[in-house]
Order: sequence, then structure tokens, then C-alpha cells
Amino acid sequence: MMRKFLPALASAVLVTLVAAGCAGTADPNGPIVVGSVNALSGPATFPESSQAAKAVFDAANAAGGVHGRKIEYHAIDDKGDPAAAAAAAREIVGGDQAVALVGSSSLIECQINAKYYQQEKVLSISGIGVDPSCFTSPNIGPANVGPFHDMTLTLLYGSEVLHLQDMCALLEIAGNTLPYYRAAIDEWSKITGKKLKYVDATVPYNGSDYTPYIVKARAAGCKAVTVNPVEPDSIGQLKAAQAQGWKDVTWLLLTSVYSEQYAKAVSDAGKGVYVPAEFYPFTDPSSPRTKEWRDLMTRNNIPLTSFSQGGYLAAKYFLQVLNGMQGDITRESVTKALREMKPITDPMVGTPYVFGPGQTHHDNIAGWPVKLATGTNRWEISGTDWLRIPRR
Amino acid sequence: MVQGALAGLAAGGLYAVLAVCLTLMSRLVRVVNFAQAATGMFGSYVGVALSVHGGLPEWLAVVLGVLLGGLLSVLIGWVVSTWLAEAGTGTRSAVTVAVLLLLISLSFILFGNKPQPFQALLAGPAFTVGGVVISQVTVVTVALAVVIAFAARLILTKTPVGISLRALSERPTTAELLGIPAKRLSAAVWGATGLISTVIIVIVAPSQSNDATSLAMLVVPAAAAALLGGFRRLDLAVVGGLVLGMLQGALAQVDQLSVVRNFVPFLAIVGLLVWSQRKEVWDAAR
Repeated sequence: MMRKFLPALASAVLVTLVAAGCAGTADPNGPIVVGSVNALSGPATFPESSQAAKAVFDAANAAGGVHGRKIEYHAIDDKGDPAAAAAAAREIVGGDQAVALVGSSSLIECQINAKYYQQEKVLSISGIGVDPSCFTSPNIGPANVGPFHDMTLTLLYGSEVLHLQDMCALLEIAGNTLPYYRAAIDEWSKITGKKLKYVDATVPYNGSDYTPYIVKARAAGCKAVTVNPVEPDSIGQLKAAQAQGWKDVTWLLLTSVYSEQYAKAVSDAGKGVYVPAEFYPFTDPSSPRTKEWRDLMTRNNIPLTSFSQGGYLAAKYFLQVLNGMQGDITRESVTKALREMKPITDPMVGTPYVFGPGQTHHDNIAGWPVKLATGTNRWEISGTDWLRIPRR
Repeated sequence: MVQGALAGLAAGGLYAVLAVCLTLMSRLVRVVNFAQAATGMFGSYVGVALSVHGGLPEWLAVVLGVLLGGLLSVLIGWVVSTWLAEAGTGTRSAVTVAVLLLLISLSFILFGNKPQPFQALLAGPAFTVGGVVISQVTVVTVALAVVIAFAARLILTKTPVGISLRALSERPTTAELLGIPAKRLSAAVWGATGLISTVIIVIVAPSQSNDATSLAMLVVPAAAAALLGGFRRLDLAVVGGLVLGMLQGALAQVDQLSVVRNFVPFLAIVGLLVWSQRKEVWDAAR
């Protein structure tokens, strides 16, 4: 019986090995495979980033592709689940043999896959980097500013532009982010020589009622509060402040709340909500800075959000590098080109983008201030230029 | 600490109202309704959608949302009492877990995961006690909890309907043989608790985190509160809700204890279960 099976088993193993060998060799004239790992389903989704990147690649393909080759874009869902995020990266990098990852946007993807990308010598230009690993890995270079520089920027705007006193922080800490937020606050202190009056790092994500934290902050004498919330949490916090009759407080928040839905949901915002938008504000429809992006998104029915700005820019940067390459386009040559690329400027960002040879990629240091005033339900531009973290 | 405890009263009132609903359901229709808050969440979400996208006047959208919450609850009750009439409390309750998950998923599909523009029915402070502002929402939620518990007790002890309901809950088959309309009365209980849950969620949703999961999961602290009364005593369910909310508020005032705040409902559930089982020997309790 065993004798009959052994040749069949050997053939099966042989076929599998040959197939695996074939999968490892990219066709030099076939499509250029590019991937991304995204939270497309689950409790917090970010679908616009990869949709925007796909729109950019589709437009490039329609115009003839890159050196005559089409781009094949694979956007995989990680469902906000660590196991699915790890599997998605392996499917793209190991299975599909992608030359790079572009436009990824996920709460956990960087933390889960950073080491794997290093091991596979593949680079990722995230559309929206969220967790600390997106900004501390040699192989990931997000297109966005990120929550940590965003926090330094919002504090700088509060103290140096609005001249606010008695500033406080309510921090929602998930995973290992506390040291990074503390570093962002320290950065502000070093620049301005000022200290926060009160810091509460115990504020929960998805808390049902934020009244106790609001009461505590008010009792501490805070006149301005910086928070790193997701939209529902911030709405809960502002509503709790409203119920307490706390009107003389200014909110210094992050791009995470910069959306039309948030503005519609918040009508009483104390002395206003200020956010340093990580890209040129998408709520300014008349600006030529965003026209090209706006037209492409509108044509493809993609929502106009910061997330679609990030995905769009990541794909644009990548295309520019690809178009400048000579010779074969392989994972090795793309990695080399990104490491050696010249900085790319774009009117939608205040800092030129460069991947470069660095061990970390956290170089985007500019935001454009926007404001949500009480009772308006509308974001307004609140500055005439980029706000930048001063280089020390 | 006192400030924090008073600040937690709003959440306490909310837990108390939901705990009263859970207790009524458990006593009268033999179900621990895990979809109690989810039904209210779904009704209030539909209300917002009708107002924002349907263009209906806000009051009408709210009324329709509340009615939908009640109808949804009746529908679940009809399914349970039709197909699981003879099943035990465990099986009947398990069905509501499926409904909870279904309603959360359905709300993601229909309304997305972005915040909904809830308009506050009540906003701002009501009065101040010792430097702590008591909001209008707090006053209404606490008052509703007490009034509903008191009214339910009156109905159950003093009216013919209440006596029929008690008969139905104690001896369902005997009551039915005596001519008590079991299905209609069950539907009324499901409908009433569905309406109350939706009303309370409509009131509090504008003043707190109002994503579908946060609102639906309010059933956990409410269940902890109901457990204090053993899912039978309405007065203790109210006390349980208020104490839980105030305890969470007080703990949030101390940085070192703040993390514990999130686990208080679970600690309360475990603690109360251990306490209620204290006289059981291991084999009997298993």
C-alpha cells in the first residue's frame, strides 16, 4: 500500500516545490505588483487610503503604466485583527511577491508586520501611519504626520498662536503609546519652556461616560485641553463638558477628529476645537492645492477625507520614484530607489517626502491649522501657512 | 472623590434604568435580555437617520425611533415565545446574544462606523451641589430609574394585569390553562422594556460616546446592577445601578485606581455571583 502512495507523494511534493519556485520569480515584463494592508472591516475602518492609492495607480495604468508595465494593486483587509494583519502581509509579500507596500492604513498593521518587512527587505509607504511602529521602523515611511508630531503641533498652536494658559492633557492610551505621547509633550516643553498644568493618562478608549474625567480636569483649573481621541470619544468628552456647563475651555485635538461627520455631531464646542490638519485641509474646496486630488477622488466616488489624502500622496510619491528608475523593477531595485530617492514636494503637505536610508521615518513635521467654532458645525481654515515643529 | 461620585450619577441612572428593564424581563418572561441596550441603540440610530437623511422633524424622528425600538423588542419576544416557549432561561437568553451581535453588525452596515449627529434632547447643567454640576441628563436618568421601578412594582402588586403577569412568570403552563393570554402579555413586557430602553438611550446618547458598540455594551454594567437584586428585586437593581455609576466616577478621580474603573462591572458580577453562591458546596454549585 505504502509503495503505491510514495511515488504519488513524491510527485505532489515536487509539483508544490516547483510551484513555490515559480511564485518566487517575478515576470520582468508582467505587471508590477504593489500591495497594502488595511483595516477595511472591523470596529475602526480606514478604507479610503487604499481606495485613493488604487485610483492613482488606475490613472497611471490608463496613461500607459510605468515603463510600459501596468501596476497591479492588491489591498488586503486585516479586519483590525493581529492574526489577519500578519497573514495579509505574508500573502502580499511572500505570496504575491509585491515590490513594495503603498497606501496601507490600519491601527495595528505596523506593529505586527514591521519585523517581517525588515526580514523580507521590502519597504512600505503607509498612507496613514497610526501606531508607534509606523514611525520607528527602518522599513516603514508613512506619508502622514502621525499622532505624536500632531500632538506637539496642536500644543504649539495653543500656546504660541492662541497664547493659551493652563493647558492640560487627557491621554487615551492604547498599547505602548504612552512614552511616545509623553515624548511629544516633552518636545513642546523643550521648544516653549512651558509645562502642562495637568496630565491624565488614564482616560479610556471607548469610554461610555467621560463626565468624571471632565470634572477632574475642570477642577484642576484647565483652560485648554489636548486629547488624542477617536471621533466618538471626543464627541462624548465635549458633550460631557457641555452637560457640566464648562464653556470656557479650548480643545486642542488631533487630525483623528478632522471629519465632516465630527463637525456635524458637535455643536457646542466650548471656545472651539483646533486641529493641525496633517494635509492641506480638504474642507477648503476652492484651494488649488487640493484640486488634482479632489478631482481624482470625486471621479472615483472616494470620500474626501484626510485618509484619502494620505493614500493618494503615498501612491504619488511611489509612482514618481518608479518613473525615475532605470532597469528592472524588482523588490530589490525598488527598495534601493526609495532609499536613494530625492525629496518630493507636494502642495498638500508642508514637509517634502523622502524615504531615505534612516532607521526611523518620522520626518513630516507640518500641519495646517483648522478650527471648529461653537454652533457652526463647520471646519474653517485657521491660518495662512503651515505650522511647523521648529528644528532644534 | 465625592465630586467624582456625583459625576458618575448620570451613568448610574442609565445603568439603573437598563437594570430595571433586565430585572422585569428576567422575572416576567424568563429572559436575561443581552440585546436590551442594543435594541435601544438601533432604535435611536434609526431616529437620527430619519431626521438627518429622511428630513423628518426631529421630534417625529425620535418618536418613530422609540417606536421601532419597542417593535423590535416585541419581534424578538415573539420569536422567543413562539419557538422557545418551553425552553429554559439559559436557552431563551442565548438567543438574545445572537440578536445583540446582529444589531451591532447591522448598524455598522446601515450607518457605518462614523459618529452619528445626535441632537441633544436635554443639554447643560440642572443645578450645582457643593461645587459639582448636576446635569439635566443626570436628573432625568435617575428620576426615570426610580419612577419606572416604582411604577412597575405598583403594576405588579396592585393591578389585575400585574397579577396575571406574576402568575405567568411563576407557573406559565398553569396560568395559560387558566386562560391568561400568555403571548400577548409577554409581548407587552418585551414591548414596554424595548420602549423604555430606547427612550433612555435617546436621552443619554447625545451626551456620551455613541458608537454602536459602546451603546450596545451598556448591557454589561446594567447586568452587574441587576445582579445585585438577583434579577428579581427592582429596588436593588436601581441601587445597584446608581452605586456602580458613582463608584466608577469616584475611582476615575484617583489616577492609580482609574484603570480599575473599567473592570468594576466585571468585578461586581464575579463578586455578586460568588456571594450568592457562598452557601453552595462545590459540586452543587457546578
